[in-house]
Amino acid sequence: MITTAVGNYPKVAEGGYGTKLIGALTKWQKQEVTDAQLEATFQDITAAVIREQEEAGLDLLTDGQIRWEDLVTPIAKRLEGFEINGLERWFNNNVYYRRPVLQRAPKRTGPILIEEYRFAGRCAKKPVKAVLPGPYTFVRMSEDRHYKAQRPFALKMAEILNAEAVDLARAGAPFIQFDEPALTAPKPDVKLALEALAIAAKGVKAKTAVYTYFGSLNGALEPLLRAKVDVIGLDVVSAPALLARLKRSKITKELAIGCLDARNTKLEPVSAVRTIIRAMAKQIPADRLYVNPNCGLEFLPHTQALAKVQRLVEAARAERT
Amino acid sequence: MLLTTSVGSLPKPEYLATARSQARKGEVDAKALRALEEQATREWIQTQEQLGVDILVDGEQYRGDMVAYFAEHLGGFQTSELVRSYGNRYYRKPIIAGRITRPRPITVEWWRFAQQLTTRPVKGMLTGPYTIMDWSFNEHYPSRRAATLAIAKVIREEAKDLERAGAQYIQVDEPAISTRPEEMELAIEALGLVTRGLKAKTITHICYGDFHTIGPKLRRLPVDQIDLEFANRDFELLEFFKGKRFPKEIGLGVVDVHSHQVEPTDEVVANLKRALKVFKPEQIYVDPDCGLKTRSPQEAIEKLKVVVEAARTVREQLLN
Repeated sequence: MITTAVGNYPKVAEGGYGTKLIGALTKWQKQEVTDAQLEATFQDITAAVIREQEEAGLDLLTDGQIRWEDLVTPIAKRLEGFEINGLERWFNNNVYYRRPVLQRAPKRTGPILIEEYRFAGRCAKKPVKAVLPGPYTFVRMSEDRHYKAQRPFALKMAEILNAEAVDLARAGAPFIQFDEPALTAPKPDVKLALEALAIAAKGVKAKTAVYTYFGSLNGALEPLLRAKVDVIGLDVVSAPALLARLKRSKITKELAIGCLDARNTKLEPVSAVRTIIRAMAKQIPADRLYVNPNCGLEFLPHTQALAKVQRLVEAARAERT
Repeated sequence: MLLTTSVGSLPKPEYLATARSQARKGEVDAKALRALEEQATREWIQTQEQLGVDILVDGEQYRGDMVAYFAEHLGGFQTSELVRSYGNRYYRKPIIAGRITRPRPITVEWWRFAQQLTTRPVKGMLTGPYTIMDWSFNEHYPSRRAATLAIAKVIREEAKDLERAGAQYIQVDEPAISTRPEEMELAIEALGLVTRGLKAKTITHICYGDFHTIGPKLRRLPVDQIDLEFANRDFELLEFFKGKRFPKEIGLGVVDVHSHQVEPTDEVVANLKRALKVFKPEQIYVDPDCGLKTRSPQEAIEKLKVVVEAARTVREQLLN
């Protein structure tokens, strides 16, 4: 059983690595600090976040996505064809993102995350996963003024994300994750999402995963369990009914189970996390199971985010022995 | 008919914004800050009167965030460390850490202060229970529903106190209502607990998000008036109401609060006339899309001026 984080991690920590990123970004916007100075701050915080995950005892880390304002714009900004528009709500959270607007055919002109990934890899003693938006979520969260049809847009994004994933694997990422929270949004096109995901993961020389979170999967669970990736991420906190439904499902893939609520500060007792792990252990061998918070930890204040990671590790350790 | 009003918040003048940040650092004491908040409230009441606004607001010069303000004054809430809202913007999100109580009235004294400055009605301004729940962490109540209903109880007490003090209009804002369509019924139930039996005119302002999901349920919101943003989506929302007899009053947002640009009066007049093809004149209240607090005081005044002038122009044309 492997303990891991899902993606983002608090960018500020009043009781830890501080809030200097806020000031650095404000000053950078006013051109009072240089790109290089801002980059140094990003690297400092990334290193601190990696250290913190290691000290807490996670097995598979993320870089905390310290540079990311949200899941989609950091990619959209680096591709040709997109403009970044006004604020929109991020799924069912009181958190906002800027909507990418596709103006002409999208094009990847070079690697996007490779340098960041290499830096994180150098900081860490443990393996670091790479996280990308899934093609379907990317399309659902964007405005399409070019294709004016979901399918060609999703398939093109899948190709682009695949090229990035292939490069990330070459750069040493042992685990590449595609986030598809849009599969929990109203009326998902599951078929298209899985078709695009298969393209995104094709030929990637690393373990591949799809993560879903924020709500129930409705009819998407069964097809999702057959997705052409190695690991399927499920949020059983936002959708507790999934646990019962998994009992009736044929599971051939590895599973990553979100078993703590990364959207509420209430700290789960370790025993509650152990109960979920034990329920999963009845259905899948421990060496095919990942456990993590149900989504990225950035919705939480730093203290609670760290406490949740520590409890996850404690629960997993207790269940291993 | 076509009475003019505003949604709630108005920008804080420079001197107050400065004093608030000094107060946070302990450089200005509570009494001095309060005096400046009163001064700013006085100025805004006077400005609204001079502009000719019909139903006034106190401008919320003493509030920061619309949820945090109530959380700070209710029992049971704590404040979190910083969490990010978007971009490089962070805030302290309230945590429901214990049973929610209202030790004393929260907004009544400010409402009285504003009302005694004017003969025009001043709206009582509250944040709705569903929004307070959705924008807080919940560590105490077993479910989102239980937390929402507990908040409804104390907001109800506040609404009753405002009514007793003489408020003729009570607005209970629910901008979060469109976040989770599956919880719309809960939001309606909670709002109903707040407004039940009130004799004051009740209003709710909502930011509609996915309008197709919540649109059909609007008529079931337990208030007399629903206030919506029409301007920032170019009045396309009118299409939804076309051909239906909407059984409530409608607060018609006619100027965009997110743009610096002040709409030309004749553009707003034209849009009001479009609205009159869908709603009856006595059904319509005219206001900006949302609270104006993110604009500069001067921009806010100019936007309100356009609201009043456009409404007046259309009113006169209707009467002649």
